Amino acid sequence: MLRFTYARAFKTLLWLLAAALAETVRGGDAEKSVILISTFSQQPLWDTPWRFDSVHKASGSGFVIHGKRIMTNAHVVSWHKQVLVHRYQDPRPYPAKVVFIGHDCDLALLEVEAPGFFDGLEPLEFGELPKVRSAVITYGYPAGGEQISYTRGVVSRIELQSYAHGGNRGYLAVQTDAAINPGNSGGPVIQDDKVVGVAFQGIPGLENTGFFIPPPVIQHFLKDVADGSYDGFPQAGIRLSALQNPSYRRSLKLPDNDLGTRIDYIYPIPDTQRRLREDDVLLQVGNYPVGSDGTIIYAGNRLNAAVAISEAQEGESVPLKVWRDGAAVDVALPVHVYQADRAEGNQYTLPRYYVYGGLVFTPLSRDYLRTLGANWNDGANSDLVYELYYRRQESPETVRSEPIVLSTILAHSVNANMAIHGRALVDKINGQRIEKLEDVIRAFEASTNAYDVIEFSSQHTLDCLDHAEVAKANAEILKNAGISKDRRL
Amino acid sequence: MMNYLSRFAAVVALLVATETAKAAPDASPWERSVVTIEVTRKQYDYFQPWSKRMESVQKNGVVVGPRQILTTAEHMNDTALLRVQKGGHGTWWNGQVQWIDYHANLALVTATDAKLWDGLEAVTLADPIPAKGSAQLARWRNGQLETHKAELNRLIVKHAKLSFIDHVQLELDSEISGAGWAEPVISGRKLFGLVCSQDGINCTAIPAPFIKSILDAQKKGPYRGLGYFDFVWTRAENPNTLKFLKLEGEPRGVIILDTPSLATNSAPLRPRDLILQIDGFEIDVEGNYKDPAYGNLLLENLSTRNRWAGDSVRLKILRDGKPLDVNYTLPKAKYTDELVPEEIFDREPEYLVAGGLVFQPLTEPYLRSWGGDWRRKAPFRLSYYTQDKPTARRPSRILLSLVLPDPYNLGYQDYRFLVVDQVNGQPVSKLSDVQSALAKPSGGYDVIQFARGEAVRRMVLDAEGIEDATHRVMQRYGIDRDLVVDPAAAR
Repeated sequence: MLRFTYARAFKTLLWLLAAALAETVRGGDAEKSVILISTFSQQPLWDTPWRFDSVHKASGSGFVIHGKRIMTNAHVVSWHKQVLVHRYQDPRPYPAKVVFIGHDCDLALLEVEAPGFFDGLEPLEFGELPKVRSAVITYGYPAGGEQISYTRGVVSRIELQSYAHGGNRGYLAVQTDAAINPGNSGGPVIQDDKVVGVAFQGIPGLENTGFFIPPPVIQHFLKDVADGSYDGFPQAGIRLSALQNPSYRRSLKLPDNDLGTRIDYIYPIPDTQRRLREDDVLLQVGNYPVGSDGTIIYAGNRLNAAVAISEAQEGESVPLKVWRDGAAVDVALPVHVYQADRAEGNQYTLPRYYVYGGLVFTPLSRDYLRTLGANWNDGANSDLVYELYYRRQESPETVRSEPIVLSTILAHSVNANMAIHGRALVDKINGQRIEKLEDVIRAFEASTNAYDVIEFSSQHTLDCLDHAEVAKANAEILKNAGISKDRRL
Repeated sequence: MMNYLSRFAAVVALLVATETAKAAPDASPWERSVVTIEVTRKQYDYFQPWSKRMESVQKNGVVVGPRQILTTAEHMNDTALLRVQKGGHGTWWNGQVQWIDYHANLALVTATDAKLWDGLEAVTLADPIPAKGSAQLARWRNGQLETHKAELNRLIVKHAKLSFIDHVQLELDSEISGAGWAEPVISGRKLFGLVCSQDGINCTAIPAPFIKSILDAQKKGPYRGLGYFDFVWTRAENPNTLKFLKLEGEPRGVIILDTPSLATNSAPLRPRDLILQIDGFEIDVEGNYKDPAYGNLLLENLSTRNRWAGDSVRLKILRDGKPLDVNYTLPKAKYTDELVPEEIFDREPEYLVAGGLVFQPLTEPYLRSWGGDWRRKAPFRLSYYTQDKPTARRPSRILLSLVLPDPYNLGYQDYRFLVVDQVNGQPVSKLSDVQSALAKPSGGYDVIQFARGEAVRRMVLDAEGIEDATHRVMQRYGIDRDLVVDPAAAR
């Protein structure tokens, strides 16, 4: 009897808990506004940049927002040749077009031209940044399934995360214990009938861990595209270093408290270099006091101060308070989208190239390096890795705006005896230092010398081509390789 | 009756055994020339440079002269105890390294006890040796002289085992396992070489003629050591490049790409010079010359073929279309000529502990602490320094390798593997620079500036508290000395 009473009480408690959870999360009608997205995509081959990989089909999720648009992840529709969208329990595929895409924040907006597509679909509203330990439901079409799936989870952490799609940017992200699988990407994360996130990535090897893009990042994207174009998230152009050693604080005449982090390095961004100095101490960003470890309190969470910077739009000024020469000063810092390091991340525009005498020249990039194999960052390619990832900070006076590699050589008698066979960083051509791809073209086309002299960065290697012979062979080389144009600029 | 039979059988067995033992020395005269060397040496943990342990290895040696045993230099450094055994069993005699050249990977061992030398015989080093044919590899195993068949494949010029210099080496195939410990390559009563490495069935040996030339020079004295070509060259297989460099006639020679950044004896050479001849030998477009004894060999061999550091080598070059004769003086091979020294032998790792901050020179032995795959596993920037050249301003680099946590260095406890640029405004490239700069704090603070591109640029510490902190850290972490510096490096 006693046992029965306990069991019954336990069942009642469970029922009450479930009901409470359902009440908190809700979102029961949201599924009608969740869209299945099928994308047929084709990526370029970065070492033979006129070619494309095979057509790849993948599916993702999205959801209807105000203005008859569908929000999804950028990675769901990247390199698309065709995007098809499917309504909830509607067998018909509808072609969609990508109207805005933010590769840095992994968000995209789609439109559907077919009349009636949005009939009966309610746009989902956005909520606030959810609280840690609160419950959320992820909607989507994971693992290629055609039926909608719901996954309940709890917000386990909120912090600055690396966004894998861009590859070299980090923004605010929310971690949940709801599994986020391929196909979930782009689906809404719901709490109190409102979207509090867009599911976007997991961590390989970590089960029951998924991340979603929270409302501050989503709202920044939507505000950015309101003028008809997407700029991206600006950067302050500073690197912060924790300032917790009492001696260092004393040397800067700073009070011995937990406020203020040191500006350790300033990127070559003129607006930032004019207004800030190394060893300035960042005390406040906007209304957020900055701790000695470089963090701020943001919506109740202790987060990297970069989160406050990323609230600004391109060209806006961010009010800063910095400690300089023993006193606090106010600085209005205009912030801009930093483009100089774009090749260090994943790129989503067709690679530029130029073919001359069978020599294929293309910009050095992370995408190119990955064509060198899984161990692309080992010693064999260290010159290329250094050039892409280290030279900018270590030796800014020698940086090229677009380092160029000789990626491969299309075999022909005019180049058959070349000592270099590809994967080499180009230093000079016909005496001209190569800063970008246009310099390569100019150096060859403007030459009147008998021999084209190509100098490479690695150990000053040089190779020569017979200029007149190359001129005669160019068309044949392109034809043999099936290249319709010798350049893409 | 049964007892008598048993005793008889035992006596017969003993007689047979005695006959076998008597016959053994005659089976191979090499038993009187091959010895086992046991080396106990100090091994350092470069991640904790004050920490060391002992390691013992056994390798092979060959008697080559009166009280002289030849072996490879590998594993002969930092020796604490060296012992020699003859006949594959029995007594171990104490010995010592008489002479060693790490670049040549050769060492001579001797011992004072006359009993060791009783019954040992010196062998003859073959000169020349055949590049093809059969030979044997010998070593003592379990009291028996073990011999393995070897097929000589070719003589080739490649990197020395312990050095950046290139010299001629003998490649051979053998089914032997676990070789590379100075196993003698033998044929008849002549030594063809010493095995220095093995990869599968492919073994590489230091050839006897190379060894002989070095031993002769060492005997004659004073030994100047090996020299090398310190310029970078490339093949000249592209006829267009040769025409651009104004070479007339048949393609030949190699192209100089780079010369050392520090002023050396190779100053007469410039990038884009064509080397057409070395010491009268024609150089082909692949960089080979026709060796009178061994046929086509890489030109690097002309820097070590009976040549020594300081010797002058005659080069015929083509510069701007004009032939020139230049004398090139071979620089001495020194590990310290590199920005990141490839090896450090016979001295403790250098380090300086100050306020819990551990400073160390960047060396390859330090990088090898990441394991055999260190080029991939060590921090990229650190391993990339091995490709940089030393300059007059930066002959070497110093790291803040580690911070031993202490209240004094609070906030810096995660700093590690950072290349130091300056301390208190003084440029730093040696440990002694750090030491002298720390003696001159700036406004009561020690300011350490790291190289551009590091994850952090600067740290500041209270100069007044550094000594107390150093003592505290040494006591807490069991460090007996705060400074170990090589007097030669400090200059």
